[in-house]
Amino acid sequence: MLECRSLSARHGSFELADVSFAVPSGQYGVVIGPAGSGKTTLLETIAGVVPATAGALWLHGADATWLAPEARGVSLVYQHAYLFPHLSVAENIAYGAPTAEVAELVAKRLGADALTGRPVRALSGGERQLVALARAFARRPSVLLLDEPFSALDPRRRTLVRREVRALHREWGLTTLQVTHDFTEAGLLGDVAVLLDSGRALQSGAPEEVFRRPASPYIAEFLGAENVLAGVVRHLEDKSPDWLEGAPAPIAHGNHAIEFTAGPLTVYTIGDFPPGDGYAVIRAEEIVLSLEAPAGSARNRFRGVVSELATLGALTRVTVDAQGVQLVASLTTRSAKELAIAPGMHVTASFKAMAVHLC
Amino acid sequence: MSASVPAAAPRALHRVIGVLAALASSLLLLFLAVPIGKLIGAGGVEGIRQLGGDAELRAALVLTALTATAATVLGMLGGTPLAYVLARRDFRGRAVVSALLDLPLLIPHPVAGIALLLLLGRDSALGGALLAAGLRVVGTPLGIVAAMLFVAAPLYISGAREAFARVDPRFEAVARTLGDAPLRAFLRITLPLSRRGLIASAVVMWARAVSEFGAIVVLTYNPKVASVLSYDRFTSFGLREALPVAAVLALIALVPLTALRTLRGADEGAA
Repeated sequence: MLECRSLSARHGSFELADVSFAVPSGQYGVVIGPAGSGKTTLLETIAGVVPATAGALWLHGADATWLAPEARGVSLVYQHAYLFPHLSVAENIAYGAPTAEVAELVAKRLGADALTGRPVRALSGGERQLVALARAFARRPSVLLLDEPFSALDPRRRTLVRREVRALHREWGLTTLQVTHDFTEAGLLGDVAVLLDSGRALQSGAPEEVFRRPASPYIAEFLGAENVLAGVVRHLEDKSPDWLEGAPAPIAHGNHAIEFTAGPLTVYTIGDFPPGDGYAVIRAEEIVLSLEAPAGSARNRFRGVVSELATLGALTRVTVDAQGVQLVASLTTRSAKELAIAPGMHVTASFKAMAVHLC
Repeated sequence: MSASVPAAAPRALHRVIGVLAALASSLLLLFLAVPIGKLIGAGGVEGIRQLGGDAELRAALVLTALTATAATVLGMLGGTPLAYVLARRDFRGRAVVSALLDLPLLIPHPVAGIALLLLLGRDSALGGALLAAGLRVVGTPLGIVAAMLFVAAPLYISGAREAFARVDPRFEAVARTLGDAPLRAFLRITLPLSRRGLIASAVVMWARAVSEFGAIVVLTYNPKVASVLSYDRFTSFGLREALPVAAVLALIALVPLTALRTLRGADEGAA
């Protein structure tokens, strides 16, 4: 278990403040956050190279807050690799390895063995990252800290290395924490996601949970939620004619049927959000477009006019102007073509009540 | 045509400023280089020839080289950790320590000699204690080493500090996470990466120690180092006798610096 308990640290003028989250043993955590949010400082504080000023760090059930970096069993890979330029590639990989065999094995698994004959200065950015990863794994740490370790790799190699890193992590039972800007990567790799901003952990949990249920409109927008609507929450009676007819089950466990008014739009959802001001987050892929009003179970349906169309390879983002509110839907380019969607066209945007997250 | 007139004036002014700047730089360069060149040209060959027959000159040069080397070694032993701490640690009083280190470079060197005399002379507490322990500083090679160390060590510390500062501390951080204790990370990573800068700083310190006169002459006139011998011959016999000693001294100070710069140039060319 890697656990930060109100961990604080100072690095120059930057302050990491009151960061709390946990990555269970053997799991893969991802840290996401904008540039300058303190992601690298967080890893450096966990590694012990930046001293904590308050709070505690627990590693595998023991307080490691004041342990020296070399005593923590933690390997750190920086984005810029920091290969030792006066050593060969092989010497770099073997630097902290318990045996030469471990270094060779790791180099081979990650594909860094082909680079051992080359001087460090002659390596590309991606190759440096590969060697830095091999060096970190060869140490046989119990905790692995990775700061955007795949950012300089070409897409094909990135996929292969990412898979191999994940495999080694699993086989060796490592606890890993990786910083990434890539939400896809976070979803692919992470068992736990931590969202960091301005030196503070805003939210942590399963990536699906963080992406689907962001704790604030800021987080929602940072995580790429296209539809974040400001409005007012009102609780409905369980048997409200505006809500589910004779189906009280979803309203159990402290949840309420909710009516959310965002300007001219009224959105229905279920949740335990208190009445008053709030935000509704609806991910673009949850919104379905149709030419006519659909007959399905979607509770929220809005007629509007297509105002913008942006094709991004296999996906197309369609902006619909629904009574002055811009709703963004994401659909496959093929579907967009089949529906012959074009600006100015009248469509119905619909989404289920459960697709609405209030924060 | 009229539009080009305002533009032409600044262009001409720029050209005049450029020519004046080049002229001023060239004159300064000549002023710095010509005396040394003339000195070596006039006395260098004679000085080297005299080395065979002038036992006093030989002894002075050996003494100069040995004491400068001893001062440099002492400077490196004490100055390297100090430079590292100044480069890496942010602590209260760092500015004061830095200012103290600059002080020997700023005060006149005879004044430095007088200050050292106050500290190490036989009437001082420390000088008396050393004397009681059988170590006489003033008037011995120890005094020469002390004077050289005082005036030249700040140059080493300043250079070494820059050399350490150029090594990104994250290299050490990585080494620490790979299992190195602080000293081991320093020896395996920081020291090799700052080696060139440290050697260059040591050479500069050595050359500065070799050429020191003002502080040495106050602490230890005899035995004579080359700079004191050169001065002694100038005041006793005149320019003609002082010239070969001065020229050889200039050569000794110049050779390691020139070699260092040549090596550095070759390294940069190869990189």
